[in-house]
Amino acid sequence: MKNDEMREELVQLGNGAHALATQITGNADDAADAVHDAFANALRKPAAYDANKGPLKPWFMHVVRNRCIDLIRRRRPGDVEVEELSDPGAGPESSLEIAQRDQELQLALAKLSSGQRQVIVLRDYMDLSYAEIADVLEVANGTVMSRLHRARLALREELTRHG
Amino acid sequence: MVEETRPVDQHVGELLSGFVDGELTQQERQRVTLHCDRCGDCRQSLAELRALRERIGKSRLSEVGDDEWRETMNETTVQTTRGIGWLLFIAGILAVAGVGLYGFIVEPGMPIWMKLILVAIYAGLALLLVSVLRQRLIERKTDKYKDVEI
Repeated sequence: MKNDEMREELVQLGNGAHALATQITGNADDAADAVHDAFANALRKPAAYDANKGPLKPWFMHVVRNRCIDLIRRRRPGDVEVEELSDPGAGPESSLEIAQRDQELQLALAKLSSGQRQVIVLRDYMDLSYAEIADVLEVANGTVMSRLHRARLALREELTRHG
Repeated sequence: MVEETRPVDQHVGELLSGFVDGELTQQERQRVTLHCDRCGDCRQSLAELRALRERIGKSRLSEVGDDEWRETMNETTVQTTRGIGWLLFIAGILAVAGVGLYGFIVEPGMPIWMKLILVAIYAGLALLLVSVLRQRLIERKTDKYKDVEI
C-alpha cells in the first residue's frame, strides 16, 4: 500500500481508534496520545502491515490496543484513569438531544468491564467481523460471540436502568 | 416423567447476537428464526439488540474531526523527521569531536600538563551538560504540570 493511501485510510480510522482507545484507557486525552503513537508506528514502519493478510482496519486497531496497554502499564499510581464526562453544552436542540443520548450511552458503557466495552466498540461502532475482533483482542474466534452477547445484555440493562 | 424440551423451544441466547450481526451458519439462522417465531421473549430481545446496535453505530463516541487527525499525522511526520535530523547532527558532531580529540592527543608541540588542564575543562563542561540534560529529561517524564499553560 502506498504511503499516501495509507495516511488517508488511517485518517478515516482516527475516530474509531480514538473511541476504542477511550474505552481502554478511560480517558480521552490518553486515548488521543495512544492514537498519535499508533499513527507514528504505522507510518514509521508501513511494511509491518501486510495487505494480503487482511484489511488495514483490524490491523490498526490491534496496534492502537497495544499502545493503550503500554500506556496503562506506564501509568503511575494516582494518575487519573477515568475521565469525567463533559457537559454536552449548548447548541441546537436536536444536537443537544443527540449529545445527551450519546452521553447516556457513554455513561452506560463506563459501567461495563474494559473487555466488554472493547468488544462492543469493535463490533457495533467499528463494524469489524467476529474473526477480525478475535484477531484484535487475541482471543479464540468462538469467544467473540458469547463475550459480545454478554456485553450487549449488560449494556442494555444499564441503559434501561438509567434511561 | 421428565418432559423433554424440543430444540426449537430452547432459548437461543448468544445466537441472537450472531443473528443480528449476520455471523451465523444457515442452520443456526434457521434455528433462531424458528425459535423466535414461537418465543415472544427472544423476539423482543432480538429487536432490542438490533436497536442497540443501531444506536451505537450512529453514536459519536469520538468527536475528533478528520482534519485534526490529519494534523496529528503531520505532527508525527515532523517529529520523525526532526528525530532523524537530530540523530544525524549528533553523529556529525561526535565524528568531528573524535577527530579533534585525536589530533589534540597526538599534537607534539603542547606540553602534557596543558593537555591535562584542557581535558579537565572540556570534561567538566561535558559532565555539566549531561547532568542538565538528564535533569530536564526526568522532569519532562515526571512533571504533572508540564502541559499547564499560564
